[in-house]
Amino acid sequence: MSVGICLLAGKAIEYFLPILPASLYGMMIFTALLHYRFLNAKRIQPCIEWAIANMAVCFVPAGVGIINHFELIKSYGFMLITIIFLTTFLLLTFVGITYQRQLNRHNPTIKKELNN
Amino acid sequence: MINHSLTSEISFMIFFILLTLIVYQAYVQLQKFCQKAWLNPMLLSILTLIPLLVFFNIPFEHYYEATTVLNGLLEPAVVALGFPLYQHIQTIKKQWRQIVILLFVGAVITIAISFCITIYTINQYEIAVSLSLKSVTTPIGIALTEQLSGNNSITAFAIILAGLFGALLGPPWLSFINVTSPKAQGLAIGAASHALGTATISRLSYEHAAYSSLALIISAVVTAIFSPIIIKILVHFL
Repeated sequence: MSVGICLLAGKAIEYFLPILPASLYGMMIFTALLHYRFLNAKRIQPCIEWAIANMAVCFVPAGVGIINHFELIKSYGFMLITIIFLTTFLLLTFVGITYQRQLNRHNPTIKKELNN
Repeated sequence: MINHSLTSEISFMIFFILLTLIVYQAYVQLQKFCQKAWLNPMLLSILTLIPLLVFFNIPFEHYYEATTVLNGLLEPAVVALGFPLYQHIQTIKKQWRQIVILLFVGAVITIAISFCITIYTINQYEIAVSLSLKSVTTPIGIALTEQLSGNNSITAFAIILAGLFGALLGPPWLSFINVTSPKAQGLAIGAASHALGTATISRLSYEHAAYSSLALIISAVVTAIFSPIIIKILVHFL
Protein backbone atom coordinates (compact mmCIF):
# COMPACT_ATOMS: atom_id res chain seq x y z
CA MET A 1 0.00 0.00 0.00
CA SER A 2 2.60 2.56 1.12
CA VAL A 3 4.87 1.21 -1.60
CA GLY A 4 2.20 1.97 -4.17
CA ILE A 5 1.87 5.56 -2.99
CA CYS A 6 5.64 6.06 -3.16
CA LEU A 7 5.67 4.64 -6.66
CA LEU A 8 2.92 7.04 -7.73
CA ALA A 9 4.86 9.93 -6.23
CA GLY A 10 7.91 8.65 -8.12
CA LYS A 11 5.91 8.65 -11.35
CA ALA A 12 4.95 12.26 -10.72
CA ILE A 13 8.57 13.26 -10.22
CA GLU A 14 9.63 11.32 -13.28
CA TYR A 15 7.14 13.34 -15.30
CA PHE A 16 8.72 16.62 -14.26
CA LEU A 17 12.33 15.50 -13.92
CA PRO A 18 12.95 12.60 -16.30
CA ILE A 19 16.52 11.74 -15.25
CA LEU A 20 15.71 8.58 -13.28
CA PRO A 21 12.91 6.05 -13.67
CA ALA A 22 9.89 6.25 -11.35
CA SER A 23 10.85 3.16 -9.38
CA LEU A 24 14.14 4.69 -8.22
CA TYR A 25 12.45 7.93 -7.18
CA GLY A 26 9.88 5.79 -5.38
CA MET A 27 12.63 3.91 -3.58
CA MET A 28 14.18 7.15 -2.32
CA ILE A 29 10.82 8.50 -1.15
CA PHE A 30 10.06 5.21 0.61
CA THR A 31 13.41 5.33 2.42
CA ALA A 32 12.85 8.96 3.42
CA LEU A 33 9.34 8.27 4.74
CA LEU A 34 10.62 5.38 6.83
CA HIS A 35 13.58 7.40 8.07
CA TYR A 36 11.47 10.32 9.22
CA ARG A 37 8.97 7.91 10.81
CA PHE A 38 6.04 8.70 8.57
CA LEU A 39 5.65 4.97 8.14
CA ASN A 40 5.64 2.30 10.80
CA ALA A 41 8.65 0.17 9.91
CA LYS A 42 7.76 -2.69 12.28
CA ARG A 43 4.29 -3.07 10.87
CA ILE A 44 5.30 -3.33 7.23
CA GLN A 45 8.51 -5.31 7.74
CA PRO A 46 7.11 -8.85 7.27
CA CYS A 47 5.37 -7.87 4.05
CA ILE A 48 8.46 -6.13 2.65
CA GLU A 49 10.71 -9.03 3.62
CA TRP A 50 8.50 -11.42 1.71
CA ALA A 51 8.46 -9.14 -1.33
CA ILE A 52 12.23 -8.78 -1.41
CA ALA A 53 12.85 -12.49 -0.96
CA ASN A 54 10.63 -13.24 -3.94
CA MET A 55 11.29 -10.32 -6.25
CA ALA A 56 13.67 -12.25 -8.50
CA VAL A 57 10.72 -14.03 -10.11
CA CYS A 58 9.71 -10.71 -11.68
CA PHE A 59 12.86 -10.80 -13.78
CA VAL A 60 12.08 -14.15 -15.36
CA PRO A 61 9.96 -12.80 -18.27
CA ALA A 62 12.61 -10.21 -19.14
CA GLY A 63 15.30 -12.87 -18.93
CA VAL A 64 13.40 -15.19 -21.26
CA GLY A 65 13.59 -12.26 -23.69
CA ILE A 66 17.13 -13.40 -24.51
CA ILE A 67 15.55 -15.73 -27.11
CA ASN A 68 14.72 -12.66 -29.15
CA HIS A 69 18.41 -11.92 -29.49
CA PHE A 70 19.73 -15.23 -30.83
CA GLU A 71 20.21 -13.63 -34.24
CA LEU A 72 22.23 -10.90 -32.67
CA ILE A 73 24.54 -13.32 -30.91
CA LYS A 74 24.99 -15.26 -34.13
CA SER A 75 25.90 -12.21 -36.19
CA TYR A 76 28.32 -10.58 -33.77
CA GLY A 77 29.69 -13.78 -32.37
CA PHE A 78 30.73 -14.23 -28.81
CA MET A 79 32.80 -11.06 -28.81
CA LEU A 80 29.70 -9.29 -27.52
CA ILE A 81 29.30 -11.67 -24.61
CA THR A 82 33.02 -11.59 -23.85
CA ILE A 83 33.04 -7.80 -23.60
CA ILE A 84 29.99 -7.78 -21.34
CA PHE A 85 31.51 -10.50 -19.19
CA LEU A 86 34.92 -8.84 -18.85
CA THR A 87 33.72 -5.31 -18.12
CA THR A 88 31.14 -6.53 -15.61
CA PHE A 89 33.84 -8.38 -13.73
CA LEU A 90 36.15 -5.41 -13.94
CA LEU A 91 33.54 -3.19 -12.25
CA LEU A 92 32.71 -5.86 -9.66
CA THR A 93 36.36 -6.32 -8.78
CA PHE A 94 37.21 -2.64 -8.71
CA VAL A 95 34.34 -1.58 -6.47
CA GLY A 96 34.58 -4.69 -4.29
CA ILE A 97 38.31 -4.50 -3.61
CA THR A 98 38.44 -0.74 -3.11
CA TYR A 99 35.54 -0.69 -0.67
CA GLN A 100 36.83 -3.72 1.23
CA ARG A 101 40.17 -1.92 1.65
CA GLN A 102 38.41 1.17 2.97
CA LEU A 103 36.44 -0.95 5.41
CA ASN A 104 39.60 -2.69 6.59
CA ARG A 105 41.29 0.63 7.18
CA HIS A 106 38.45 1.74 9.43
CA ASN A 107 38.27 -1.56 11.19
CA PRO A 108 41.75 -2.86 12.05
CA THR A 109 40.43 -6.04 13.71
CA ILE A 110 39.21 -7.40 10.39
CA LYS A 111 42.58 -6.58 8.88
CA LYS A 112 44.35 -8.59 11.56
CA GLU A 113 42.09 -11.54 10.95
CA LEU A 114 42.82 -11.37 7.26
CA ASN A 115 46.56 -11.20 7.82
CA ASN A 116 46.57 -14.19 10.11
CA MET B 1 -17.04 -13.94 -30.75
CA ILE B 2 -15.32 -11.08 -28.93
CA ASN B 3 -16.21 -12.69 -25.67
CA HIS B 4 -14.61 -15.92 -26.76
CA SER B 5 -11.27 -14.37 -27.70
CA LEU B 6 -11.24 -12.40 -24.48
CA THR B 7 -11.69 -15.48 -22.33
CA SER B 8 -9.00 -17.34 -24.23
CA GLU B 9 -6.65 -14.41 -23.75
CA ILE B 10 -7.30 -14.36 -20.03
CA SER B 11 -6.80 -18.09 -19.70
CA PHE B 12 -3.59 -17.69 -21.69
CA MET B 13 -2.43 -15.08 -19.21
CA ILE B 14 -3.30 -17.15 -16.18
CA PHE B 15 -1.62 -20.17 -17.69
CA PHE B 16 1.70 -18.45 -18.37
CA ILE B 17 1.81 -16.63 -15.06
CA LEU B 18 1.07 -19.85 -13.21
CA LEU B 19 3.63 -21.70 -15.29
CA THR B 20 6.31 -19.12 -14.47
CA LEU B 21 5.45 -19.09 -10.77
CA ILE B 22 5.33 -22.87 -10.50
CA VAL B 23 8.61 -23.37 -12.32
CA TYR B 24 10.23 -20.68 -10.18
CA GLN B 25 8.81 -22.06 -6.94
CA ALA B 26 9.94 -25.57 -7.85
CA TYR B 27 13.50 -24.32 -8.26
CA VAL B 28 13.30 -22.40 -4.98
CA GLN B 29 12.40 -25.67 -3.27
CA LEU B 30 15.18 -27.46 -5.12
CA GLN B 31 17.69 -24.85 -3.99
CA LYS B 32 16.48 -25.13 -0.40
CA PHE B 33 16.76 -28.89 -0.60
CA CYS B 34 20.24 -28.97 -2.12
CA GLN B 35 21.63 -25.88 -0.33
CA LYS B 36 23.67 -24.88 -3.36
CA ALA B 37 24.03 -21.21 -4.23
CA TRP B 38 24.61 -21.82 -7.92
CA LEU B 39 21.20 -23.46 -8.31
CA ASN B 40 19.76 -20.00 -8.86
CA PRO B 41 15.96 -20.24 -9.25
CA MET B 42 15.79 -17.28 -11.61
CA LEU B 43 18.46 -18.57 -13.99
CA LEU B 44 17.07 -22.10 -13.96
CA SER B 45 13.54 -20.81 -14.62
CA ILE B 46 14.79 -18.83 -17.62
CA LEU B 47 16.70 -21.85 -18.90
CA THR B 48 13.60 -24.04 -18.50
CA LEU B 49 11.13 -21.63 -20.08
CA ILE B 50 13.20 -20.83 -23.19
CA PRO B 51 13.26 -24.42 -24.52
CA LEU B 52 9.58 -24.81 -23.59
CA LEU B 53 8.59 -21.77 -25.63
CA VAL B 54 10.80 -22.82 -28.54
CA PHE B 55 9.51 -26.39 -28.45
CA PHE B 56 5.83 -25.44 -28.42
CA ASN B 57 6.49 -22.70 -30.94
CA ILE B 58 5.12 -19.92 -28.77
CA PRO B 59 6.37 -16.49 -29.84
CA PHE B 60 8.14 -14.63 -27.06
CA GLU B 61 5.78 -11.66 -27.53
CA HIS B 62 2.83 -13.83 -26.50
CA TYR B 63 4.57 -15.01 -23.39
CA TYR B 64 5.74 -11.51 -22.54
CA GLU B 65 2.30 -10.00 -22.96
CA ALA B 66 0.74 -12.74 -20.87
CA THR B 67 3.20 -12.13 -18.03
CA THR B 68 2.96 -8.32 -18.06
CA VAL B 69 1.67 -8.52 -14.50
CA LEU B 70 4.92 -10.05 -13.27
CA ASN B 71 6.93 -7.50 -15.17
CA GLY B 72 4.77 -4.72 -13.74
CA LEU B 73 5.50 -5.93 -10.22
CA LEU B 74 9.15 -5.04 -10.82
CA GLU B 75 8.54 -1.36 -10.12
CA PRO B 76 6.98 -1.80 -6.66
CA ALA B 77 9.64 -4.42 -5.91
CA VAL B 78 12.38 -1.89 -6.57
CA VAL B 79 10.57 0.61 -4.33
CA ALA B 80 10.47 -2.04 -1.58
CA LEU B 81 14.29 -2.11 -1.67
CA GLY B 82 14.12 1.24 0.09
CA PHE B 83 13.45 -0.73 3.28
CA PRO B 84 16.88 -2.33 3.75
CA LEU B 85 18.36 0.99 2.67
CA TYR B 86 16.47 2.69 5.51
CA GLN B 87 17.72 0.12 8.02
CA HIS B 88 21.32 0.85 7.19
CA ILE B 89 21.08 4.55 6.61
CA GLN B 90 22.99 5.40 9.79
CA THR B 91 26.14 3.53 8.78
CA ILE B 92 25.82 4.63 5.19
CA LYS B 93 25.64 8.30 6.20
CA LYS B 94 29.13 8.14 7.69
CA GLN B 95 30.71 6.79 4.52
CA TRP B 96 28.51 8.71 2.13
CA ARG B 97 31.24 10.62 0.35
CA GLN B 98 33.63 7.68 -0.10
CA ILE B 99 30.87 5.55 -1.57
CA VAL B 100 29.75 8.20 -4.04
CA ILE B 101 33.30 8.87 -5.24
CA LEU B 102 34.07 5.16 -5.55
CA LEU B 103 30.92 4.44 -7.56
CA PHE B 104 31.49 7.49 -9.72
CA VAL B 105 35.02 6.44 -10.62
CA GLY B 106 33.94 2.83 -11.18
CA ALA B 107 31.06 3.79 -13.48
CA VAL B 108 33.12 6.26 -15.51
CA ILE B 109 35.98 3.80 -16.00
CA THR B 110 33.75 0.93 -17.09
CA ILE B 111 31.71 3.08 -19.46
CA ALA B 112 34.90 4.33 -21.09
CA ILE B 113 36.53 0.89 -21.27
CA SER B 114 33.43 -0.86 -22.64
CA PHE B 115 33.05 1.81 -25.27
CA CYS B 116 36.69 1.71 -26.37
CA ILE B 117 36.98 -2.09 -26.47
CA THR B 118 33.81 -2.35 -28.54
CA ILE B 119 34.93 0.35 -30.95
CA TYR B 120 38.27 -1.44 -31.45
CA THR B 121 36.87 -4.95 -31.83
CA ILE B 122 33.41 -4.68 -33.38
CA ASN B 123 33.82 -1.12 -34.62
CA GLN B 124 30.16 -0.09 -34.58
CA TYR B 125 29.10 3.02 -32.76
CA GLU B 126 25.62 1.85 -31.80
CA ILE B 127 26.81 -1.44 -30.31
CA ALA B 128 29.50 0.39 -28.38
CA VAL B 129 26.90 2.73 -26.89
CA SER B 130 24.66 -0.17 -25.96
CA LEU B 131 27.43 -2.13 -24.27
CA SER B 132 28.70 0.82 -22.26
CA LEU B 133 25.25 1.32 -20.72
CA LYS B 134 24.79 -2.23 -19.48
CA SER B 135 25.35 -1.71 -15.75
CA VAL B 136 22.21 0.31 -15.00
CA THR B 137 18.60 -0.80 -14.62
CA THR B 138 16.74 -1.44 -17.86
CA PRO B 139 14.53 1.69 -17.94
CA ILE B 140 17.52 4.03 -17.61
CA GLY B 141 19.66 1.98 -19.97
CA ILE B 142 17.01 2.03 -22.69
CA ALA B 143 16.30 5.74 -22.26
CA LEU B 144 19.99 6.59 -22.53
CA THR B 145 20.44 4.30 -25.52
CA GLU B 146 17.74 6.19 -27.34
CA GLN B 147 19.25 9.50 -26.39
CA LEU B 148 22.68 8.44 -27.68
CA SER B 149 21.26 6.56 -30.68
CA GLY B 150 22.46 3.11 -29.69
CA ASN B 151 20.69 -0.19 -30.35
CA ASN B 152 17.81 -0.92 -27.97
CA SER B 153 17.70 -4.68 -28.23
CA ILE B 154 21.46 -4.99 -27.74
CA THR B 155 21.23 -2.80 -24.65
CA ALA B 156 18.42 -4.93 -23.25
CA PHE B 157 20.40 -8.08 -23.93
CA ALA B 158 23.62 -6.65 -22.44
CA ILE B 159 21.78 -5.44 -19.33
CA ILE B 160 20.26 -8.85 -18.66
CA LEU B 161 23.56 -10.60 -19.25
CA ALA B 162 25.50 -8.18 -17.02
CA GLY B 163 22.83 -8.71 -14.37
CA LEU B 164 23.04 -12.49 -14.59
CA PHE B 165 26.85 -12.57 -14.50
CA GLY B 166 27.03 -10.39 -11.41
CA ALA B 167 24.11 -12.02 -9.64
CA LEU B 168 25.33 -15.58 -10.12
CA LEU B 169 29.12 -15.33 -10.23
CA GLY B 170 29.47 -12.16 -8.15
CA PRO B 171 29.31 -13.59 -4.62
CA PRO B 172 31.67 -16.56 -5.23
CA TRP B 173 34.10 -14.41 -7.23
CA LEU B 174 34.18 -11.64 -4.62
CA SER B 175 34.73 -14.15 -1.80
CA PHE B 176 37.51 -15.69 -3.87
CA ILE B 177 39.37 -12.37 -4.19
CA ASN B 178 38.99 -11.80 -0.45
CA VAL B 179 36.15 -9.29 -0.62
CA THR B 180 34.20 -10.94 2.15
CA SER B 181 32.28 -8.10 3.77
CA PRO B 182 28.57 -8.11 2.88
CA LYS B 183 28.80 -4.32 2.51
CA ALA B 184 31.55 -4.47 -0.12
CA GLN B 185 29.89 -7.39 -1.92
CA GLY B 186 26.55 -5.59 -1.99
CA LEU B 187 28.07 -2.37 -3.27
CA ALA B 188 30.03 -4.13 -6.02
CA ILE B 189 27.09 -6.20 -7.24
CA GLY B 190 24.69 -3.28 -7.12
CA ALA B 191 27.13 -1.23 -9.18
CA ALA B 192 27.79 -3.89 -11.80
CA SER B 193 24.54 -5.81 -11.95
CA HIS B 194 21.77 -3.30 -11.13
CA ALA B 195 18.34 -4.46 -9.91
CA LEU B 196 18.74 -8.03 -11.12
CA GLY B 197 21.88 -8.52 -9.05
CA THR B 198 20.32 -6.71 -6.13
CA ALA B 199 17.23 -8.92 -6.21
CA THR B 200 19.31 -12.06 -6.26
CA ILE B 201 21.71 -11.20 -3.46
CA SER B 202 19.01 -9.65 -1.27
CA ARG B 203 18.30 -13.21 -0.20
CA LEU B 204 21.76 -13.45 1.34
CA SER B 205 21.44 -10.74 3.98
CA TYR B 206 19.89 -7.36 4.69
CA GLU B 207 23.31 -5.74 4.55
CA HIS B 208 23.79 -7.05 1.02
CA ALA B 209 20.39 -5.68 0.06
CA ALA B 210 20.99 -2.25 1.58
CA TYR B 211 24.39 -1.62 0.03
CA SER B 212 23.36 -3.08 -3.28
CA SER B 213 20.29 -0.82 -3.44
CA LEU B 214 22.46 2.13 -2.59
CA ALA B 215 24.94 1.31 -5.35
CA LEU B 216 22.02 0.78 -7.72
CA ILE B 217 20.71 4.31 -7.13
CA ILE B 218 24.06 6.10 -7.19
CA SER B 219 25.30 4.26 -10.27
CA ALA B 220 22.04 5.01 -12.04
CA VAL B 221 22.33 8.72 -11.27
CA VAL B 222 26.01 8.87 -12.25
CA THR B 223 25.45 6.98 -15.50
CA ALA B 224 22.37 8.98 -16.43
CA ILE B 225 24.19 12.27 -15.99
CA PHE B 226 27.70 11.48 -17.16
CA SER B 227 27.50 8.78 -19.83
CA PRO B 228 26.41 11.21 -22.59
CA ILE B 229 29.38 13.44 -21.75
CA ILE B 230 31.89 10.58 -21.61
CA ILE B 231 30.70 9.09 -24.88
CA LYS B 232 30.83 12.45 -26.63
CA ILE B 233 34.40 13.00 -25.45
CA LEU B 234 35.44 9.50 -26.54
CA VAL B 235 33.84 9.90 -29.95
CA HIS B 236 35.78 13.10 -30.35
CA PHE B 237 39.13 11.41 -29.62
CA LEU B 238 38.70 8.03 -31.32
